[in-house]
Amino acid sequence: MQTLLLWIVTLATLVVFAWRFGTRLQPLFSARPVNRLDRPGERFSGMLGDIGLHRRMLRFTYSGVLHAMIFSSFLVLFTAIIESFGSVLFPGFTLAPVGGETWIAILQETFALLILVGLGMAAYQRLIRKPARFEGSRKGDAILIYVLATGIVASMLLEFASAIAITGTPNPYRPVSSLLAALLGQVGVDGHAAETLHMSFYWAHVLIILGFLAYIPGSKHRHMFLAAPNIFLRPLHPKGQLPAVPTLEDEKTPSGIQSFSDFTWKDLLDPLTCTECGRCQSVCPAYAAGTPLSPKKLIMDLRDGMSTGEAHLPIVGGVISEDVLWSCTTCRACMEVCPVHIEHVPKIVEMRRTMVEAGTLEPMLQDALTSFQSQGNSFGKPAKQRARWIKGLSFKPVDARNQPVDVLWFVGDFASFDARAQELTRMVAELLHQAGVDFGILYDGERNSGNDVRRAGDEGLFELLAQQNIDTLAGCEFNRIMTTDPHSLNALKSEYPALGADYDVVHYSELLLDLISAGKLTPKQGAAAQVTYHDPCYLGRYNGGFDAPRDLIAALGHDLREMPRNRKNSFCCGAGGGRIWMDDSAFHERPSENRIKEALALGDVSYFVVSCPKDVVMYTAAIQNLGVEDRISVRDLAELVTESLE
Amino acid sequence: MKITVILRLEPVLTEELELTNDARDVDREWIGLDMNQFDDQALEQAILIKEQTGAEVVAIAIEDEGTDRMLKTALARGADTARLIPMDEYDVESRSSRAMAPIYAMAIRELEPDMVLVGVLSNADIYGELAPYLAAHLGWPQASAISQVTLGTGQVTLRQEYAGGRSARLALQLPAIAGLQTAAQPPRYVAGSKLRDLLKVQIPELNIEAVPGADLAEATTLALPDMSGAAEMIDGDAQEIANAIHALLEEKGFV
Amino acid sequence: MGILVQIEHVDGQVADGAHELLAMARSLGGTVEALVCAKDATTVAAIADELDADTVVAVADAVLADYVPAAYLTCLAQAMEDRAPDLVLLSYSTAGIDLAGGVALKSGREMVCYATAIERDGAVLTVKSQVYSGKLTASTTLPLPGIVVVMPGAIKAPERAGGSAPVEELVVDLSVSQSIRHVENLLPDSDGIDLTKAERIVCVGRALGGTDKLPLAEALAVKLGAEIAGSRPVIDAGWLPRARQVGKSGTKVKPKLYLMAGVSGAPEHLEGMQDSDLIIALNSDEQAPIFRKAHYGAVCDMFEVLPALTEKLG
Repeated sequence: MQTLLLWIVTLATLVVFAWRFGTRLQPLFSARPVNRLDRPGERFSGMLGDIGLHRRMLRFTYSGVLHAMIFSSFLVLFTAIIESFGSVLFPGFTLAPVGGETWIAILQETFALLILVGLGMAAYQRLIRKPARFEGSRKGDAILIYVLATGIVASMLLEFASAIAITGTPNPYRPVSSLLAALLGQVGVDGHAAETLHMSFYWAHVLIILGFLAYIPGSKHRHMFLAAPNIFLRPLHPKGQLPAVPTLEDEKTPSGIQSFSDFTWKDLLDPLTCTECGRCQSVCPAYAAGTPLSPKKLIMDLRDGMSTGEAHLPIVGGVISEDVLWSCTTCRACMEVCPVHIEHVPKIVEMRRTMVEAGTLEPMLQDALTSFQSQGNSFGKPAKQRARWIKGLSFKPVDARNQPVDVLWFVGDFASFDARAQELTRMVAELLHQAGVDFGILYDGERNSGNDVRRAGDEGLFELLAQQNIDTLAGCEFNRIMTTDPHSLNALKSEYPALGADYDVVHYSELLLDLISAGKLTPKQGAAAQVTYHDPCYLGRYNGGFDAPRDLIAALGHDLREMPRNRKNSFCCGAGGGRIWMDDSAFHERPSENRIKEALALGDVSYFVVSCPKDVVMYTAAIQNLGVEDRISVRDLAELVTESLE
Repeated sequence: MKITVILRLEPVLTEELELTNDARDVDREWIGLDMNQFDDQALEQAILIKEQTGAEVVAIAIEDEGTDRMLKTALARGADTARLIPMDEYDVESRSSRAMAPIYAMAIRELEPDMVLVGVLSNADIYGELAPYLAAHLGWPQASAISQVTLGTGQVTLRQEYAGGRSARLALQLPAIAGLQTAAQPPRYVAGSKLRDLLKVQIPELNIEAVPGADLAEATTLALPDMSGAAEMIDGDAQEIANAIHALLEEKGFV
Repeated sequence: MGILVQIEHVDGQVADGAHELLAMARSLGGTVEALVCAKDATTVAAIADELDADTVVAVADAVLADYVPAAYLTCLAQAMEDRAPDLVLLSYSTAGIDLAGGVALKSGREMVCYATAIERDGAVLTVKSQVYSGKLTASTTLPLPGIVVVMPGAIKAPERAGGSAPVEELVVDLSVSQSIRHVENLLPDSDGIDLTKAERIVCVGRALGGTDKLPLAEALAVKLGAEIAGSRPVIDAGWLPRARQVGKSGTKVKPKLYLMAGVSGAPEHLEGMQDSDLIIALNSDEQAPIFRKAHYGAVCDMFEVLPALTEKLG
C-alpha cells in the first residue's frame, strides 16, 4: 500500500518536475549552435575544481563557507534520501549492508547539524546582514528554499528519532536522533505512538522532498542541477576573444537578437543557471556608478523574459533596455566572479550589435564610430596625423613598413592622439631609443585595433579595422609587437588570432622590465615613493598581465601598496567597451573617482601608477574632479622609469 | 523616379590647416578628407525619399583620395547604385565648384535623373555653390537652402529657408535641382557590417567627356586669418576659467 | 565703374544686407544702380525711397510678390545685360546663393563668394573672402566685369540716408521662367520663443554631442536668466527646437550677452550673432574661428567650465 502510494506520488512529482524543467529548457533547443564540448578533460577537471573546492564561492568568505556546509551536507544527506525512497519503492532495499546504520549514519547525523547551521547562517545573511548584492534578488524564493530544506532535514532527524523511540534504545551511530528520541520519550512518545509518529515523519520527509523537487524548476535552486553542466560548458577560448556572431548555414548576415532563438543555447542556459547571488552586481563598476545596469538583473530579466515568453516585447530595448546595454564597460569583473561561469559580457555585446545594426546608437558613440569609418580613429583626426606625436622626439622612429625591426610598436589611438598620452608615448619612444631597442612604428598605416569598437557592438567595423591592420602587419618584418595600450594588446593577442593572424605581443611593462633586467636601462635607486598600482582590465583580467608592472615598480625601488581591489578583482576605470566615447552623465559616481577614493583610503600613497593610456586620461580627470591634486597624482610606468633614470 | 545625389570630399576642419608654399591651396600632407556635411544631408534625404516612394538613388562622386569609401558608405546607407567619375589628380588644376560643374552636369545628362540633390554649400573654394551652377549648365530649375523635399508627379515641392527663420514652399518642374540644407532626419548610422559586405564590391566608373570650367585659382592666394582684434583669451583650468568669466560678468553688470 | 546691387526685401521691408551692399558699392566709387524686384510700382517706389543709389532699376510684376528663384534669376540676368555693370553685388543669402552662380555662368563673368571686403585699386578689384568655414581667408584679384557675393555684416551700413534716385523700369518677360512656382510662405514655428527679444543668450554648438549634456547649458542659462540657443547642427540633430536656432537659417540676434559653448563659429553662425554686445566663447579648438569674433574666449572643455560657472553663479 505504502509502496504503491509512494510510487504514485513520486512518479507524479517526477512528471511535474520534468514538465516544469522541460518547458524552461525548451527555448535552448531552438537556439543557435555553439560548440562547448571540446577539450572535455579540461572542462571536467575545471568543473570539479570549481564545485569540489568551491574556488570561486570562497572569494566571498561568509557565503562561501555556508554554501560549502550546505552543499557538502546535501551530498551526504542524499544517502538518507536514497534510503527513504529506496526502502519503500523497492521493499527490502537498504543501505545497511554498506554501513547505512553505522558510518553512514554518523555522517548523516553530523552533516544534518552542519546543514542546519549552514541554513541558519544563510537565513541570517539573507534576513539580517542583507548584503547589497541581494538587492533585486527574489527574497521569497530564497526563504521558501530555506524552509523546505530545514523541513527536509528536521523531518529526517525526527523520523530517525521516532524510529529510535519505538524501542527506546539509543543508537550510538545516531547521537542527535537518539537525543531527540530521548526528548520524545520525555513527552511520552513511545511504542505505538512512536510508530505512528515515525510514519508521519517519514511521509513528511518524502513529501517535502518531492515538493522541493517539484518547486525547484521554477526556483533559482535549479542551479543544483544546472551549475555543474554550466561550469562544464564554460568558454575555454581566450578571455579576450569575443565569440563571433553565430551564423546559421543558410544565413548571410546574422539578424541580431530579435528573439530568444537568436541567442546560442549556452546564452540561454546561463540565465537558467543563475543563482541570483549578486556577486556580479557587487563588483560591477557600472552598477556602482548608479547606471541602470546590474549584471544580475540583466541575466534575471533574460531568464524571466524567455520563460514567460514575452513575445510582445522586443528583447533589445524591451526585455533589456538600451540604457542597460550601453552602460557596460566590458570589464569582465562579473564573469570572473560568477560561481557558475555565466557569460554576461558576450550577451551584452551581442545585444549591442543588434542596436548598431539597427542604427540606434548613443549620439556620441555614433560620432566616434563614424569617425572610425572615415579616419580609422575616434578622435575625428585625419588618419594622416596618427604619427604626429613624433614631433619633438630626439630621433625619427623607423617606419616598420619599409624596414625590418625587432620590435614593432603598435601605438594605439589614445597614445597617438590624446595630448596628455602623447607625452608618455614620446617618453616610451625615448626610453626604447636610449636602451637601443630596434623598433619601428606603422605611421599612418596603423588603424584603431578595433578592440572597443567590437565591444561597442560594431562587428563589421571591427573586422574592417582589424583586417586593415593585419594586412599592414603582413607587409612588415618583425619579431614581436609591443604596445602601451592594453586594449590594442588584447585585440592583437586575443582577437586577431581568430582572424588568422598570430603575433607575439608584449605590453611595454614587460619590455621595460626586460630592459632593466638586461641592464639596458639602469634606474637610480633611492627615490622610493609609496605608490599604488591599478590593473587595467584588458591587461590584467583579460590577459593575465599582473606581475610585470608590479615587478617593474619594485625594480625602480618603489614601495607598492595594493588597493583592496587588485589583480583579478581590479576595479574598472569606466572607459572600456566603448564607454569612453559615450556620455557619462548617467554615472552618479564615475568609476574612476570611486577608484581614486579607494587609493586615497590607503593613506600615504603619493602616486597612482597606471599602465594604460586611457587610464592616464581617466584618472587625471578623476583626480581633478575630486580636487585632490595635492594628495595623489597619476604616474604612468614610463614616467616612473624616466624619472628614475634622470 | 530617379534621384542623383552628388557627394563631395572636403578637408576635415577639426585640425589646424596649413597652406602649400605658393599659398594657393591647403597643404594636403596632414589633412584628411571627409564627406561634405550638407552632401551627407542630401544623401540622407534621398534615402528617405527612396524609403517613402521607392525612388531609385544613384550616388556620384569625382575621384579623390577616399571617394571609393565614401561611395560605399552611400551604398551601405541605402543608395541603389554608386558611380565614380574618374579624375586624375594631375589632370585638374582646380576642383572648385565652378571648375567641376561641367563634369557633374555631363554626368547628370548621362544618368538622366528626375531630381538632383546636393549639399547647399561647400566652402572649400570661393566660387559659391554647385547647385546653381548645375542648374545653369543644364537649364533646370534650382532652389537652394532646402529643408524639405516632397517628390510628386512631374514636380517637386521644396521648402526653402530664409534668414530669420522664415521659409516658403516652392513647386519646381522636374527635372530639378535642390541644394539641401537639412534632411528630414539626421544622417543615420550604418553598421560596419554593411561596409564590410561591400568591401569587395567594385564601384562602377562613369566616364565623362567634359572639360573643367575655368576659375580664378591662379588669381587667388590663401592665408591664415588675421588674428588682430580677436578675442581676449582666458587661460587656466576649468575652475580658473569659470572664475574669470564670473568676474567678467560681474564687471559688466550681468551678475 | 558701374555697380549693380541686388536688393532683397520681404514685402517691401529692405534687408539689412541690401543696405550693406549699397554702402560697399559707395565705398568703391562709381555709379550705383539698385535692382528692385517687387509685385507692383507702389512697392518699388516705397523701397526706392530707402535706397542710397544713383538709379533704381525696377521690375514690377505680380509674379515677384514673393521670392521665386527662377523669376528673380531672369530679372537679374536681364538687368545685367541691359545695364552692363562692371560689378554686380549680391548678399550671401538664400537668394544670393540661388542667383549668383546662375548669372555668372550665363554672363560668362567671374564670381567670388563669401566676400568680407573689396579693395579697389584703379580698375583692379581685390576681394577678400572667407573659406573653410572661416578658417582661412582668400584674396582674389577679380577681373571685371565680375560678380561678388558679400557676407552679411562685412560692412556697416550707415543710418538710413534714404534716397531720391530715379526709378527706371525694366521690362522683363517672366512668362519664360514658369519652372518654379511659389506655393506658400511658412511662418517660423516659434513655439512662443523669440530669441530676438532675449537680452542674454547661452548658445551651444555641435560639440554638445547630444541631449544628454544639454542640462549643463540649461542650468547655466537659468542662473543667468538667459535663453538657450543652438547653432545649426544642434537644431538639425533635433537637440533643440528650430525656434532656438541662431544664424543664417535661424534667427539673427543682438543680445547684451552671448555666451557660446562648443560653437566653432562658421560664417553662417556669426552672421546671426556678431552684433551682440558681449560675446564670450568656449571651445576646445584653439583655432576655432569664433575666437576671432568673440570678445573673450577660452580654450577649454565646455563640460567642465559650464558646471563650474553655474556653481560660481550660486
